[in-house]
Formats: sequence, structure tokens, C-alpha cells
Amino acid sequence: MNPYILTILLFAMGLGTTITFASSHWLLAWMGLEINTLAILPLMCQSHHPRAVEATIKYFLTQATAAAMLLFASITNAWITGQWNLEFMSYSLPTTLVTVALALKIGLAPLHAWMPEVLQGLDLTTGLILSTWQKLAPFCLLLQINPSNTSLLLILGLASTLVGGWGGLNQNQLRKILAYSSIAHLGWMILVLQFFPSLTLLTLLMYFVMTFSLFISFKVNNSTTINSLSMSWSKAPIISSMVPFILLSLGGLPPLSGFMPKWLILQELTKQSLAPLATLAALSALLSLYFYLRISYAMTLTMTPNILLNALPWRLPSNQHTLPLAITTSLTICLLPLTPAIITLLTL
Amino acid sequence: MMYMMYFLLFGLVLGLAAVASNPSPYFAALGLVVVAGIGCGVLIWHGGSFLSLILFLIYLGGMLVVFAYSAALAAEPYPEGWGSWPVLGLMLGYLLGVVSVGTLFSSSMYDESWMVCDEFGEFYFVRGDMEGVATLYSSGGFMLAMGVWVLLVTLFVVLELTRGMSRGTLRAV
Repeated sequence: MNPYILTILLFAMGLGTTITFASSHWLLAWMGLEINTLAILPLMCQSHHPRAVEATIKYFLTQATAAAMLLFASITNAWITGQWNLEFMSYSLPTTLVTVALALKIGLAPLHAWMPEVLQGLDLTTGLILSTWQKLAPFCLLLQINPSNTSLLLILGLASTLVGGWGGLNQNQLRKILAYSSIAHLGWMILVLQFFPSLTLLTLLMYFVMTFSLFISFKVNNSTTINSLSMSWSKAPIISSMVPFILLSLGGLPPLSGFMPKWLILQELTKQSLAPLATLAALSALLSLYFYLRISYAMTLTMTPNILLNALPWRLPSNQHTLPLAITTSLTICLLPLTPAIITLLTL
Repeated sequence: MMYMMYFLLFGLVLGLAAVASNPSPYFAALGLVVVAGIGCGVLIWHGGSFLSLILFLIYLGGMLVVFAYSAALAAEPYPEGWGSWPVLGLMLGYLLGVVSVGTLFSSSMYDESWMVCDEFGEFYFVRGDMEGVATLYSSGGFMLAMGVWVLLVTLFVVLELTRGMSRGTLRAV
């Protein structure tokens, strides 16, 4: 793509998130979300492949619906209460509608159906931007509104963790697996939103770090299916040896960093006398763990029967930017002992 | 004169069902013309005469005309309107849905209605829309600049999405 256009689009994406972060008026928040949606559309279909165009159209339609719902809810709130402030929504109808609209924006179950199909049509870098950057602005809004109904957020969260687990089980396309993993993690974030919002922020940032390293690992290996991943160990053996740790961190196993958000969320839910819910959520993490283990099994733990020529390729220096991969992989594996410091830093 | 508002809103819902039920963009845009015109009438009744004029000019006279030309270039040779049974059935289904939800949720026709509130600071709503536009150009200058920049980005986005003849995102044009 023309570098000037690329610069303008990336700048607009930063601008949209910044506007939503800085806003306390619903119209300005909506405007930031719309700028984000608009700016990512050409990035999504830059290959002009019909599959990418289909993913762009699906993304545009769902995000436009969510933005329209958000606008309706904020206008209803303005008509009832006479003011447009984000934090002072006190009636249940607009607040519920805003929550459902933002759930559609980020892809929580049962409003998740667009996510695997959209991610499947994109290349890994654009999929990464979609999974990470585009979640920041809606989460900023979710963190600021007063939840109207306790059970709505809990139902959204639990359904997302279960759907994210069960949906990813029969997939061999990596991008769909990443989409279901995103849905599951978003479920965990929403579960604890009304009790301890700092944990939502913590889970979001940890998810960003973990999924960034996974996306970039797949990109360096240039593989989008489990089959091609199983043959990619010889391209960069270091990456093949680190990816199981990234995957197990995503699954939430101690002593890796991915255990941190799940542990703290389970602790907080138990403190709020929601122990059965905590048990259900922990059990649903097992479902996700199964397909993470399947990927690491195919990639690292077994050698697929194939010709041995791929065992000795030239280990040429990679032209890709691997420094961010190195940083995020280290953070994904080693961040658990810093839990108290991170909690203190992220206290809202 | 609530009767006049009743007829306007009735036409609005009818037009909305028409837009939603027509698969062909020609008839859907026709429904959109009707909905926008009636919406302008509702807006005038609530006192926003300037806003209604701007809506008519820019939305109908600008955007919808461009949409009609684009649809004429790209849409189908045999459009299906209300003459064919599936479309008419969908339209009647939407109207039935609206009527049933309306009777389910309304206690009576004459108990409650949403009235327009008149005051906001020093603006009275009759002049509010004109004063609002003037404020956008004076103390709302930063937001005006932001809006202009976003419109420019939208232009670049659309140009990028339609770049190239057949290798672009839209196939025929």
C-alpha cells in the first residue's frame, strides 16, 4: 500500500482510540470508535483477495451495527436523564443496550460469530491489530460505565469462556483458533469487570502481550494451519521451542504469566461468593488448554512424518522484526513473580 | 394536531419496513427517500427547521443521489419490488412484528408520549439547531477541525477501497 496512505490510516487508528480514551461525552466516544472502524477497513482488504474483502465487509457490518446501537443507547440516555456523560448512566435500559453494543464490538459470546470468520480472512499482522488494538477503545468504555445488571456481565463472560473453549476444539486453521482464544480471554475479562476493574485491565494487557508473541511467532514461520506449523520447526528452532510456553501461558498454567490474571480473577470471584461460577470458569479454561496443547504437540513435541530434507535448511538471518517477538515472549513466560507490582501499577 | 404527528410517524414505520424488506437497492432507496422526507417533517414539528432543511438538502439531495447513481451502475437488471410475493411477505411480516411488539409494550395509546424539552442553558430549542451550528464554528473550533480531518480520512479510505479497476475491492467499476 502507498506509504502515505498507510501512515494516514495508522494515524487515524491511533487518533480514534485516543479520542475514545479522552472522552467523557458519548458522542465523542462513538466518534472515536467509528474512526477506528473506518481506518482499519483498507488495511483489512489490502490484498484485494475475495476472502479478505468478505472479511472486511463482515467486520464493517457488525461494527456499524454495534456503533448504531451505541448511538441509540446514548441518545435514549440523554433523553431520559438530560446529560451525555459516560459515567453517570443510571437507568437500566440504556446501560444494558450499551453493554450489549460493546459486547458486539469486541466479540463476546453470544455476539461472537463474526470473529472467527473475520480473522480467518485476514493476514496475521492485520489480525493482530484487530485482536489487540481494536479492543482497547471498547474496553475503556466498558470500564467506565456503571453496570446495570449483575448477571448480564456474568452471563456474557461465562458464555464467552465456554464458547471460546468449545469453538476452538475442532479447528486446524490457526487464525480461527486465535479468534476463539480471543473470545475466551475476553470472557475472563468481563467476568471480573464489575468487581475489580483493575483485573480486567490486567487481563487485557497480559492477553495483548501473549497473543502478540503468538501471532508474530506464526508470522515468522509463515504458517496459518496446524499442518504447516508442524513442518516449521526447522525454520527457527528457538521459536519452536518457545511457542509451547506461550501457548501454555495463554492456557493459564503456572508458573507462566498467563496464570496471573486467571488466578487473581478466581480469587476475586471467590471473595464475592461466586465460587460455583469460578469453578465453571476454571473448568472452561481446560477446553482452551486442550487446543493450545494440540498446537504445541504438532509444532514442537512431535516430528511429523515427512521427508528429511526439511531438517537441514539454511539458517539465514530473518528479515522480519524479531525484537518485539523476543520481548513479548520473555514477558509471556517470566512475568508471574511481578504480580504484586503489576497489580499496584494497574490499580484504577 | 397530534393526529398529524401520528400520520407522520405511521409513514415513518411503513417506510422503515419498506427499506428493510426490499432486496433491490432501487426500491430500498425509494423507501429511504420516503423515510427521510417524513423524518424531516417530524423534525420540523419538533422545532428544528434549519436541521430539517440541511437534512433534506445534504442527505436526500447529496448522498442519496450519489447512491442512486452508484446503484444504477452496479445493481441487477431485474429488480424485485413489492410485486413479488417473498418481498411483500417480508414487508407484512415486519409490520406485524412492529404492531405486536407495540401492543405488547404500550399500556394505552393516550397515557404516555415523549415530549420535547425546551431549554438547554441559554438556547431555546426552536433556535437550538441554528445556534448549535454557529457554535460549532466558534467555540467548537477544535471539534470542527477534528471532523474535517475525519472526513478527509474517510475520503482516503473510500479511495483505497475502490482503487484499481477489476483488481480492486469492487468488481465491476
